Parts: sequence; C-alpha cells; structure tokens
Amino acid sequence: MAYAPRTSAPDRPGSMVESHRGYDPRLWLFYGLLALMLAVLAGGLAYQQLGRAEQHRERETVQSQRRVVVPGPRGNLFDREGRLLVGNRPRFAVTLNLDELRTEFRREYLRVRRNYRETGDKDLPTAGQLERLARVSVVQGHLQTVNRILGGRERVDAQALERHYRQARILPFVLLEDIAPEAYARLLEQLPVNSPLQVYTASTRFYPHGRLAAHTLGYTASDDDLAVDENLPGADLTTFKMRGSVGRQGLEAALDARLQGQAGGAIYRVDPAGYRLQPALEKRRPVQGGDVVTSLDLDLQRAAEAQMAENGLAGAAVALDVTTGEVLVLASHPDYDLNSFTPRLTEATAAEINARGAWLNRATQGLYPPGSTFKLVTALAGLRSGHILPDSEVECTGSYQVGGRVFVCNNHRDRGVITLPQAIEKSCNTFFYHFGLQTGIEAIAAEARLHGLDQPTGLDLPHEARHMLIPDPAWKQSRRGDRWFPGDTANVSIGQGDLALTPLQMACLVASLARGETLTRPTLLHRDPPVAQAQPPDGLPPAARAAVFAGMEAVTNTGTGRILQTPRFRVPGLRLAGKTGTAQKATAQGTLNFAWFVGFVPVVNPRIAVAVIVEGDTPGEDVAGGRYAAPVAGAIFKAWADKNLPPPEAD
Amino acid sequence: MPRFDQARPFLTLGIVLLAWLVLPAAVKRVARLSFYEFQAPTDVAASYARDLQEFWSQKTRTKNEVIEAARDLARLNASYELRLQDDARLRAEIARLEELLRLPSYGEFRAEPARVVRRDFSAWWQRLVVRKGSNHGLRVGSPVIHGGGLVGRVAEVHAHTAVVELISDPAVRLAAVFDGDDRPVSFQGGSNPPLRPAEALLEYVPLDVFATPASPRRLVTSGLGGVYPPGLYVGEVRSLEASTDGLFKTGRAVLDPRLGRLTEVTVLVPVDPAP
Repeated sequence: MAYAPRTSAPDRPGSMVESHRGYDPRLWLFYGLLALMLAVLAGGLAYQQLGRAEQHRERETVQSQRRVVVPGPRGNLFDREGRLLVGNRPRFAVTLNLDELRTEFRREYLRVRRNYRETGDKDLPTAGQLERLARVSVVQGHLQTVNRILGGRERVDAQALERHYRQARILPFVLLEDIAPEAYARLLEQLPVNSPLQVYTASTRFYPHGRLAAHTLGYTASDDDLAVDENLPGADLTTFKMRGSVGRQGLEAALDARLQGQAGGAIYRVDPAGYRLQPALEKRRPVQGGDVVTSLDLDLQRAAEAQMAENGLAGAAVALDVTTGEVLVLASHPDYDLNSFTPRLTEATAAEINARGAWLNRATQGLYPPGSTFKLVTALAGLRSGHILPDSEVECTGSYQVGGRVFVCNNHRDRGVITLPQAIEKSCNTFFYHFGLQTGIEAIAAEARLHGLDQPTGLDLPHEARHMLIPDPAWKQSRRGDRWFPGDTANVSIGQGDLALTPLQMACLVASLARGETLTRPTLLHRDPPVAQAQPPDGLPPAARAAVFAGMEAVTNTGTGRILQTPRFRVPGLRLAGKTGTAQKATAQGTLNFAWFVGFVPVVNPRIAVAVIVEGDTPGEDVAGGRYAAPVAGAIFKAWADKNLPPPEAD
Repeated sequence: MPRFDQARPFLTLGIVLLAWLVLPAAVKRVARLSFYEFQAPTDVAASYARDLQEFWSQKTRTKNEVIEAARDLARLNASYELRLQDDARLRAEIARLEELLRLPSYGEFRAEPARVVRRDFSAWWQRLVVRKGSNHGLRVGSPVIHGGGLVGRVAEVHAHTAVVELISDPAVRLAAVFDGDDRPVSFQGGSNPPLRPAEALLEYVPLDVFATPASPRRLVTSGLGGVYPPGLYVGEVRSLEASTDGLFKTGRAVLDPRLGRLTEVTVLVPVDPAP
C-alpha cells in the first residue's frame, strides 16, 4: 500500500490546527486549573497520609479494637501458723461465645422470617424483633446441648441475653453459673474443643472454716467498676470489664488494697457489628493479689467460738499476745457463714442475719458497761494516787452509805475486814466504793484515759466503735447539764453507770497491766520476727502490781472465777490471773446482765491476755461473769496451754 | 480456538469445583462417605497383607525360638490368670461397697478387640484407623484402650472401619484425676509433631497437687465425664506450674510411647448406652 501524504485543504475553512491554535490561551488556563486541583488533591492526600497518619491510626484503633478486662484473684489470708483462713475456689460457668454464632443468627433469622411469611400473617414482627427471636432461638439451641449433657431443663433468659447482646457482646454470655465439679467434668469431656460453648473458670472467695472468725475475716461483694492498672495496655480503648470483687467488711475490707489482684485483659479486633475477631491482638494474664498472714490462731479461735456457741448467748471474746499485741482471737457471737456471701448474699439470708443481730462485731463495735472488771482501773488509780496501798483494808458490812443513799455490796455479804487482793478476789463493792470515793472521779477517769480506754484501739479493722465513754463531772455537766454526785463516783468505781467500753479495749487494758505498760496497740497482722510493744511503763511500784496480781490469781483459784480450776479448764502448773464482772443495763424489756471476764496467763511472764463478754437475753436471769464468761476464757487458756506448754509428763 | 482448547481442562475443573460448591450438603456427605467406603477395602486389604507378611516372617523362626516364646507366653498367661482372680475379687468387693453405700454403678462395656489398619499422625491430628466398624457394633464416642491404658475415642464409624482420635490429638479433651485424688482436671491433647514423644496439656490442676521428675504423678480417667470409665491410665505428670492467677496449676502429661506404634486396640462398646 503506497503512502499518500495528507494534504490540508486550503479551501476548507477552520482546519484542526487552526482551531487548536485559536483556543490555546483558554486551554492553558484549564490545564493550570486542573494541575492546581490535582496538586491540592495530592497535597491533601499527602497531608492525610503523612501528617495525620498517627491520628488516623489511633482513630482506627479506637473504632476497631476493644479491651476486655478480667479481675485478678484476691490474695489468701492465713493464720499465724500458715493455715488457710480465706482462699479462692474456682467457680465454673458455662458460657457461649456470641461472636462465633453470627452465621447461625443470620440463618435462624431467615428461617424465622420465612416461617412467618408462610403463615400468611400480615402482622409480621419488625426486623429487630425477628433478630431477637432468632438470637434467643439459637442460644436456646446451644443451651439444649448443655441440658442434654447435664440432664437439666434450663431456659434462656431472653432479657438478659438481649441486654448482654446490646451492651457487651464481646464478652461470653453466661448460660449457667456455679456448676458442680461433676457437671464441669461432663461438659469438659462431651463438649467439642472448638465449640462456641465453653466452660469458663473464674475465682470466688472460699472460707474453709465457714463461720469461724466471720466478723474478723469479713466478706467481699461484687464490684462492677473494676480498678485497672495504668500499665495495662489499651487504656484509650472502649473497655469491657468482667465483674470483680471488693472487700466490704473485716480484714477483707481493711486489707483490700493488698489482697486485690492485678487485673489482666485482652485486646480484640472487632468487626463493624461489634463481634470479636479471634485471636486476641494482645493478652495479659491476671495476677493474684498479695497473701496476708494474720495474727489469728486458728486453734484458739476455734476453742473460743465453740465455748461461746455452747453458751448460746450473744457475746464476744478477744485474746491478745501480751508481748506483741497481736490479736490471737477475735470472736463475736452470733455470727454468720461467710460462704453464704459467695457468689452473692441472698435477701433471705441477709434478713435472717439481721433478725439474729449477727451483723454487729461485738468485739470491736459492742459498747458495754465493764462491771466489776473496771475495779482493776479503780485499784490502779488508787494505788497511783496513794489512796490505796497494797495493804489497805476496809471493813465490809454488806452495804456502804454514800450521802443519803445506801450502796449494797456484792451479794449483800458481810465480809468483815478485807484487803485489796481479797477485794479483787471476792469482787467486794464496799472496798471500791470506799477507796473510789477517796481517789476521786478525776483520778479514776484519768487512769482510764491513761490506758487508752477513751479512744479506739486503732486495730486494723474497719468500723471500730468510737463512742466509748469514761464519764466525769465535765462530761455530765456538758451532756446532761447536771452536777456530779459522790454516788456517781461510787457507781463508776465498780464499773457501773455510764461507762461504755468494748471487749477489745478491755483486752488491751489487761495486756497492758500484764506487761506493766499503759497502752497496747493491737494488730491483726502477724510479724515475723515478732515486734514487741514498746509503750510507756505504767509507773506502778512492784508491790502495788503484785497486790493486784495476787488478787487476780485468787479470783481464778478461790474467787469468782474458780470455775477455771474445774477439771474441764484446769491446766496443771499453769497460774491464771483474772477478774470477773457482771454489769447491768436497763432495757425496755427489763434489766439485762452482761457477764465479763478479763485475765491473763501465766501470772509470771504473762503471754496471753483475754477479755470475754456474754450478753444475757432474759431480764432477771443471773448471767454472771464467773459462770458464763470465765469458761470461754478457760477454753482459750487451755487451747493456748495445749500448744505452748510442755505436757505434764515432760516434767 | 486453539487458545480455548488449551484452557478447556481448567474450565472443566472450574465448573466441577463450582458444581461441588453449590451441591446440597447431604449429597456432599453421601459422596464423601461413599468415597471413604470405596477406599476402605484398599486399606483393609493392605492391612491383611501386612498380617500375612508378619505371619510369614514368623514362620522363619526356629523351633527353639517358638518354644521359648510359647514358654514366655505361658508364664504371662499364668500371671494374668492370677490378676484376673484378683480383679474378680476386687470387682465383687466394689459391687458390695456400692450396694452398701447405694452408689450408682458405672455402665458396663463390651470389649471389642480391633487391629490397627493405619496410623495417621501429624501436627494437626493424631488418629488411627481400626479394622472394625458399625458391623461390629462400634459407636461414635466409644472409649478405646490398650494394654498401657487409654488410647482415645472413636471419632468416625464406617461399615468395616472406624477412626479413633488418640488422646494426643488436640481435639480430644477429657476430665482426668490424679491417682488417689478425686478432683477433676482438664486434659487436652497437645500439638505433637511427629517423631517426638506425645504430650498433653493439663489445666485446672488444684494448687495442692505436686509433681516432680523425681516423684511423678499418675493421671487416670475420672469417670465423671460420662465417656470414659474411671481409672484408665492416661499419662504421667512430671512437672506442674502455678498459673499467675493463683487459682490452679498447669502442666504437661507425658503419654505412653506405645501410642505411636499400636497394632491392636480394644474398643469399649457400651452395653447399655445412656438414652
């Protein structure tokens, strides 16, 4: 084919070349505009990609990732010998991973919709309602699998499912809670490994001794706002928290920061519908909280509570290590089973505890008139002020007149001439009326304050009573607008009247007296090596202390606490010191008796101090310290001696 | 046209694949099973051939060797007879105690011995094919044992063969207990590469259970799961570690090395299966 050059036709007006030439300036303008727009576009793109890349990445992360936080198990509590008091037990639950059911939900939705359409019903449910129906149907289907394996008839809680689906579909939906180990074993074996149904394990508090030291150990409650460690990654992500627990009472509350576990968690990518995509992008296991060794002695606590339960009356018992101030026993009766608080306390159980008056920790929160046990304070005040000497005597005629009022002695007995040790031994009121009036209320109140009886002890437990009362003229004037009478002093001298103290304070008083110091700072934490209390010495002459100790020893031998020498409580070779008391309190039903016993063992180099109170529940009933409170102390002393003293044969 | 001719095989393959994808699930399942059943005689025949080969190799042994083997076998039989007597006595005692305590007795099993046709070990699954199937009453889920304890469970049953998932398979999970302890722990096959001793993962082990290489603990079936009878040896645990959450320990169980070279197993077929 021959090449034929193209020739322009000069006779044809407006050739192509001419036409382009004619538009040149406008084309350049167009090109310029186009270039500018492209440049703006490219620049914008570059700015977004390079300049704002970090922000976009963060937004993408926040939108597409979710964090699931799992609580760490709480630490354990042990007694001073390392025996478990509070631990954790596994709690098995059957859960369903909703994110693995997307296809099933869709398929069921189509099936349900088709069924509705086939029925010809014009009143069709909305798409949302159909979706809910489909979800319930699918979940119920999986629950049927569990029912078949376990032989149950469980039904899905549609409302709970819907709530979970709306609010936390990234978390597994709990179908059955707290299943038995046998059920767990069946599911483990019969559910396929890759099933959306899984056995989920969480921890819950476990109290191996049930009611033992219930008020002291305390309990936990569930906590929806789990504290999360700042170092846990994904702080800026939407976070779903599994339910944790927080200490509510007792040591569980007081030591919550130490016991609380470190939360773990995982970060998952989610699809636009909020379903989790496996596997997790990042995972951190929870870490158990710190363990705490308490000062409690399981054997002594058990002995005290058994004896209190035998009485069947409300009361409290406290035992302290005299040297260190460590609390060996802190018991309150009536009590409750700590295991009834896990996984949660039912309303019926709470009401039952309330009806029995068991919430109160009587050892630290119960305020009682100390009765004759307060005579020890009166004696110390008299000895310190010089109004009482170790060999002081008074003739007891069975009554004592103060102004125009006659005060009777204990049992109206005419005891004749009586010394300080004998007055303590027989709990003679006349002796203490006489010398209490001579010493004066100011000196007695000052002695009580010197021993810290007007202040909380500072024990590491929450809610210790703060309104203890050491009455004096200033208090009476300010509170009642009345002046102080000698009869008030007589009353206080024998521990009656407006005095109000806790059993823990009385235990501290006795421990201080036994150690020759003014104060005892009790603690529930065991320290190894032991740390001795170093409080100010009480400044009493040895002869004065010896007279008081002699009286207290006589109480347990031949006095009001002689029940401790019966075969049940007697420990051969162990010298005991104690003081009984019986206080009265007027109530709407009548006057109730409160039985007291305070004491320590051994008399020489004391090791353990005890305070016990037992509340009478019937007006007029003779609930005396020697009969009701001393046996509880005796049980504690015996349990202590069994562990700490060599058996008699060894001698 | 020539180009189309060249692409025809690929086109056909594509059409077949597409057709397979759109086929109903039931048809696919029947096709798969039929394929397996057609293929099964080949495996079974190969297994018989191996047996024959073994028979002829045994025929080459001398009379003395055979006499010695027979003597060893007679001694073994005598010891087994003794054990059987002990076993019968213990069974009677267990039955008496169960009656006394009104405990429910475990379901009975019928022992069905089966030759191993093929072993299929990989990092993904650990399986055996045995030469008995539904024609011998085997059921899916039946426990499988050998002289050294638990082998696994029946995963698939065909007419003349059955597939057994070994306890070393990651898809097998069971509730085991430590010998002398009644608390169930989770036992799951691990990812076991070939040519290495099989291991399994242990989870939810109570904190007061201890195991060291010097004093390993025996792991047996719990009988609580409803699949395996209690007391079957599963493996040995030589170390346990406390998990960070402080609730449990985790560890690994070393399985019987004979699992990898089994030639004969026994399938425990439930006599009275649960409804």
